[in-house]
Amino acid sequence: MLTEHLPKDGFAVFVKAECETCAMIEPVLAGLRDRDLDTIIITQDDPSFPANMSALDDRELEVSFRFDIEAVPTLIKLKDGNEVARTYGWHRSEWEGLTEQQNLGPDLPEQRPGCGSRTREPGAWETLVSRYGDTGISSRAINLGEWDDEIESCFERGWSDGLPVVPPTDARILRMLQGTARSPDEIIGDVPPNLTPITVEKVAINAVMAGCRPEYMPVVLAALEAALMPEATMHGVLCTTCFSSPILVVNGPIAKKIGMNSGINCLGQGNRANATIGRALQLIIRNVGGGRPGELDRAVLGGPGKYTFCFAEDESDPTWTPLNVARGFAPETNTVTLFQGDGIQGFIDQRSRTPEELTLSLARSLMAVGNWKLCEFTNAMLVLVPEHYAIFRDAGWDRDRILAELHSALRRPGSDVIQGAHGIGEGVSPSRQAEMVDKFWPEGLILVHAGGQAGLFSAICAGWTGGRFRHDSMTVTKEIQI
Amino acid sequence: MTIQLRDPTGETASVLRERVAPLDAYTGKTIALMDIGKMRGDEFIDRMEQLCSAHGINTRRYKKPTNTRVAPREMIDDMTQNCDAVIIALSDCGSCTSCSTHDLNDLDRNGLSGVSVLTEEFRNAFESQKSAIGLDAASVYVPHPMQNRTTEELHSFAEQQFETIVSEICREALAQPAGAGS
Repeated sequence: MLTEHLPKDGFAVFVKAECETCAMIEPVLAGLRDRDLDTIIITQDDPSFPANMSALDDRELEVSFRFDIEAVPTLIKLKDGNEVARTYGWHRSEWEGLTEQQNLGPDLPEQRPGCGSRTREPGAWETLVSRYGDTGISSRAINLGEWDDEIESCFERGWSDGLPVVPPTDARILRMLQGTARSPDEIIGDVPPNLTPITVEKVAINAVMAGCRPEYMPVVLAALEAALMPEATMHGVLCTTCFSSPILVVNGPIAKKIGMNSGINCLGQGNRANATIGRALQLIIRNVGGGRPGELDRAVLGGPGKYTFCFAEDESDPTWTPLNVARGFAPETNTVTLFQGDGIQGFIDQRSRTPEELTLSLARSLMAVGNWKLCEFTNAMLVLVPEHYAIFRDAGWDRDRILAELHSALRRPGSDVIQGAHGIGEGVSPSRQAEMVDKFWPEGLILVHAGGQAGLFSAICAGWTGGRFRHDSMTVTKEIQI
Repeated sequence: MTIQLRDPTGETASVLRERVAPLDAYTGKTIALMDIGKMRGDEFIDRMEQLCSAHGINTRRYKKPTNTRVAPREMIDDMTQNCDAVIIALSDCGSCTSCSTHDLNDLDRNGLSGVSVLTEEFRNAFESQKSAIGLDAASVYVPHPMQNRTTEELHSFAEQQFETIVSEICREALAQPAGAGS
């Protein structure tokens, strides 16, 4: 340990060559040495600086970290091996008082501020804590061999969704934990399918692996909390033989603040926040919950959404009621909504000019969800793009009107959709032959406004089959704790 | 310098604990027949109920609201108070396999001897889930798939595996069914 080189009773001066104030006080440092004070100079960047002073090489910053140096130069007085006083920058009177010397640097100005310590450079602190300090991280340490590739090691241990993950080092985990005020040992809940308790620390580890930035942490935590709500049926969504996975919709100012995409290609690739927040939740389910394909994840086909499916709603049109408000939250509340759904079924309509035409057109496509003869069986999310919404908006239709008209257009005679009708075995119970049957429960059709400004191409995401349990499997929304 | 990573998993132990031993005899005991709520499972359970009755085994029927979640706490409590063993059926998908194995574990912790009936396709899923939970749970398998079977076929699955299923929860040999010749 480099601190062994420090005098028990004497002085330690931390400097760096690139600091002009440090260079300015070189004569003072030489003077301290000449006055036979037990002084050691600790240099952070250039061991030859100051010249002819045999400075202690602290380019690894171990000593600077242990003394929590914030600026250079810093003068520390040591007594019985312990610090008893310090001053930083150049203040003649303070240096003279600390060293009990007179007339230090008579040709220098009375004072001059110093520079930042290299230990305070961005990203340095977490790395230094992981090397020399107490990280407080309690998760099991995995030490790799000297020649192991860290990314390949993550694959080998089964921690990946098939794409490379960011290796969860202590420095990265500490940085991630700075994205939340919540304590690392706080338990968020039990993650299915193994119902394993998860701490904020484990969330951070998986968020690191997913590629998140620390400022995404509150959203990841809220997404996890949403997934662990009983009505989210994450257990079933993960283990099911169906295609489904959580589809996350973020509302509120945080979406813009962390750079989420609600516009062009928002359901696609290319945006770090969209991609990694959804991925973090999936990695948590895999790694903490134990939900691995072929074991307890039994999707017969699965879907690309099982890597990640997360986007923000476009709240820029003042006529549009955002999803979080529609679900009972105050405007500007940051929320994550979790819908249990499949991939995208494109809805193309470039001909409809009136809201009535567009409603009928949308309804016909929505009938295909699950199976066109299945009713009150699966839910659905309709991602309405701005150009389609404009047709409704210009006619004075708001969210509630659009939903009401869609539900009405999706109501069919039972005789049309019972099992066996049209020579198709699938369908609703024959007992409903004489009824009018709704395609979705009233709350089962979720409307979201998103997408680029050009293109009459909305998207339908089918819900999972667990939606047939109307009161047991539902779309959920969770407020994000900042 | 070697690299140190941190384990992102739940760090759960996988040592299996011994399950509650089968009952010694049926007399005075009640067997819970737990329908996990998956489609067609009730038809299988119907036949199980008939067979139990024919062999003089007292049963009490339950049905979960959904196969996609673990059983409601009230249902587990009711079974614990009123039953001595449980037969859970019929899992033929991932979510029901996982959730029903947790139910089996909950009931085992409450002192009920139990067995889960699944389709063959989910043998590995059951093994994986019981390993993760840490319970040496009992299982019996019927052919997969089952959703496209007739009721008669589902009943025949119950008849073929009835003796094996009940032997997992009680050591007593089955009595002759009521009405059978000596």
